[in-house]
Amino acid sequence: MTNLRALLATTALVACGTAAAARDITIDVWAGGSNDADSYRWEAIELAADILEREYAIQGEELNITIEAKRDFGGWDEFKQSVTLAAEAGTAPAIVVTSHLDIAPWSQAGYIVPVEDYLDLDSWPLNDIYPNLMEIAAYDGVQWGLPQDAESRPFFFWKDTMKGIGYSDAEIDALPAKVASGDYTLRNVLEDAKKAVELGLVEEGYGFYPRVSNGPDYAQFYQSFGGQLQDPETGKLVLDKAAMEEMYQFFVDAVAAGVTRKNHIGTEWSQWYNEVANGKAALWHGGTWHYARYTGKEGNEDFFGTIQFSLIPSGNDTGRANTITHPLVYLMTDQQDDMIEDVAAQLIKIASEPRMNSLHAIKSAHLGITRQQSNVELYSGNRWADEATTRLLGTANAQPNHLQYGAFSETMWKGLEAAWTGVQTPAEAVAAVEAELKAKLGDELIVR
Amino acid sequence: MRRVNWLGLAFLSPALVMVALFFLLPVVLTGFFAFTNMSTATGVTGGEYLLNSATLRSLADDGLPQDTLEKLASGGYRVDAEGLAALAAATTPATAAEMERLHGGAEFTDRRDMERALKDLRDNAIRKTRERKEAAELFKRSILNERFADEAQFAAALADTGIAPSHAAQVTAGAYTGWVWTTENVSLLFALPSTLRYAANTALYVTLTLAFSVGFGLFLAITTFYLPKGQATTFRAIWFLPRILPPVLYVMMWRWFTWDTGFLATFSGYFGASPKNWMLDTSYHAWTAVVLINGFVGSSMGMIIFSSAIRAIPSSMLLASEVDGASRWQQVRWIILPQLSWPILFITCYQTLSLLTSFEYILLATDGGPGRSTEVWSLAAYHTALNNYGGNLEYGLGAAFALVLVVMGILASLLYFRLFNFKRLITTPLIEG
Repeated sequence: MTNLRALLATTALVACGTAAAARDITIDVWAGGSNDADSYRWEAIELAADILEREYAIQGEELNITIEAKRDFGGWDEFKQSVTLAAEAGTAPAIVVTSHLDIAPWSQAGYIVPVEDYLDLDSWPLNDIYPNLMEIAAYDGVQWGLPQDAESRPFFFWKDTMKGIGYSDAEIDALPAKVASGDYTLRNVLEDAKKAVELGLVEEGYGFYPRVSNGPDYAQFYQSFGGQLQDPETGKLVLDKAAMEEMYQFFVDAVAAGVTRKNHIGTEWSQWYNEVANGKAALWHGGTWHYARYTGKEGNEDFFGTIQFSLIPSGNDTGRANTITHPLVYLMTDQQDDMIEDVAAQLIKIASEPRMNSLHAIKSAHLGITRQQSNVELYSGNRWADEATTRLLGTANAQPNHLQYGAFSETMWKGLEAAWTGVQTPAEAVAAVEAELKAKLGDELIVR
Repeated sequence: MRRVNWLGLAFLSPALVMVALFFLLPVVLTGFFAFTNMSTATGVTGGEYLLNSATLRSLADDGLPQDTLEKLASGGYRVDAEGLAALAAATTPATAAEMERLHGGAEFTDRRDMERALKDLRDNAIRKTRERKEAAELFKRSILNERFADEAQFAAALADTGIAPSHAAQVTAGAYTGWVWTTENVSLLFALPSTLRYAANTALYVTLTLAFSVGFGLFLAITTFYLPKGQATTFRAIWFLPRILPPVLYVMMWRWFTWDTGFLATFSGYFGASPKNWMLDTSYHAWTAVVLINGFVGSSMGMIIFSSAIRAIPSSMLLASEVDGASRWQQVRWIILPQLSWPILFITCYQTLSLLTSFEYILLATDGGPGRSTEVWSLAAYHTALNNYGGNLEYGLGAAFALVLVVMGILASLLYFRLFNFKRLITTPLIEG
């Protein structure tokens, strides 16, 4: 209770107009998986610091905030290792920008503190953030973080190739709706990809050109075939054997039909981006942020004229057209000095305001996190942000925040890789996945 | 004599410190981690006590009775006399009185609802968010989502929930967030179908690579021995490149050479062959690439050792054999090879041990693919302990993987010592005895 008394006393002092002593605070911000286009992940914190300093000044307090941003990590692995090691050593950065999947293990380990301990979730702008995104930054009923951005993982069509295999402009325009309603499925994907290869519009192996490494994208295809990642009742992870096998079979069929390369996995990302952005592939899937890469570095000057995008098509009757959003989140780590946590919380709150978040959303081609962003001209005036938000974000779901989800995802991927490359049949791969998951997850797994 | 001993130790001490720090300590730590369930979620330095819905779920799976679970989950926030007294002490009696008037006796399951109730205060409004949050905590009656730094505090809080004392131990164990000792990792290694595969992969990898690097190293050493000195040096320098090139660069050149947009595919394309990935097309391709990539690195080291050993053979023996009319092959078979048995032993021992634990070239080239067919034991240890998209790294299980390698390494060393009669090598020569 001394804390509360002290706070009250401070407030009283401030209210009386007595200037408190100046405080210098350094806030470290570490952002994983970020490149130049993502600079507002920390620059928004810098802007927020300026605003917060002014707010304190108006109340008669002098607060000097220094933001020290770090973004150059070798990759996600190095970033996560750096954060956890720093947390063990007691030198963790105050603010971390990372995947929402880290919330489960990091909260259990005590590395992070809940934002709800510091922020009023009913206050603006937090009450304006999409509830499904807030849910993704929560775990076990506790709001651990705030969504930093939103994205979604669409399916892409190269318009010229589609026209080459007989689609009219009107039919191409209608594709997103047909995908959403389940009239265009993954079977159609295989057929169209095959036509494109057979007509010589794309090279063999370029009919359907998927992601080259493990990622949330593949969980989408599992969902396309009716798979469910987490049981909403018990919170346990779910292995739907039939859906998993059908999903594996889809990729095996794609290889057999010559529309996907057998050793596609592990292709260089730079090669992949360049190829899909310039029409070398007929159909593929990616992320909303790819827009920035295609139109920027890869030099596609007419995105909307050359590329159509939709949800990931459904695979069968039990499945659904879907997309997974994998937002990064602002998390706050446990600090010796409670004042640092408090200031960090204020900063990420200010950085989540619609105008601030729009800077990041538009610069990096991510989607917004708050409803009011549709009233920010920078955001609403951007065709990509506007169309992608309405077409994709409404139905987007996320991967579950669960301690064992990492093991689940790795095992599912291993199985897919084995089937895809022909080392095992889909049925064998699913059996191996089941055995492995049962041994590793035990009670936390439901097999269907 | 005594002084000399100390001096020797003093000279050795930097090396001893290095050996202890970089060799013994990691082995000891691996052994230690292997028998824990350590992961990102448990942290390394210890744990606290925390009950949340995930813990309750696993306690339910472990058979904790429903009424106990309900007691643990219940409580929430209650505006009772105790809380109001605390609020009066923390703020003003008037605040507590107003709170009692507005919400006396109310119960909330959610923290947010409790905070909303506090916002209803008008005459004695608590305006600052932090203060309102601290005030809300005064009414908290549940121990869910509350971290307790030590067992005593948790036990006290647990007693307040009114659960049967006989269940306290189970709940306490379930609520502990840190790592605990366990032999589960070892049994998991035996239970997982994938580990047998990794073991077989490792045996294949070590045998093939070893055979290639010793064989090719010998071939290079012997052939360059018979070349004129200038040419020999040039060839040896070229074949030494794999060893001295940075692994990333070396493997990247292999990728340029073998990938479907690379040299081999382009070249074979001139003859009408459709381009394919020569490194990852099938598991045979991948194994060939893995063995060659590692084998060339190993053989360049073997070449240097064998070349020096050949040069140490008295030239009079070779000259004498030539006088006797021996062919090149006879020289190799009867003079050079017999005198190389110790270097061959050394290279074999050394490379077996280093191949068992090395995975960097495989990681860079195939990353265990296609479909985990080139995933060797040490790479699996790395993937388990340090590489996970979902973020929960399994240090304990990874260490158990590594511990097996330590045991295998020790067994292999002992076997080699026996097989090659190592004792004879280190006995003092009779002439000095």
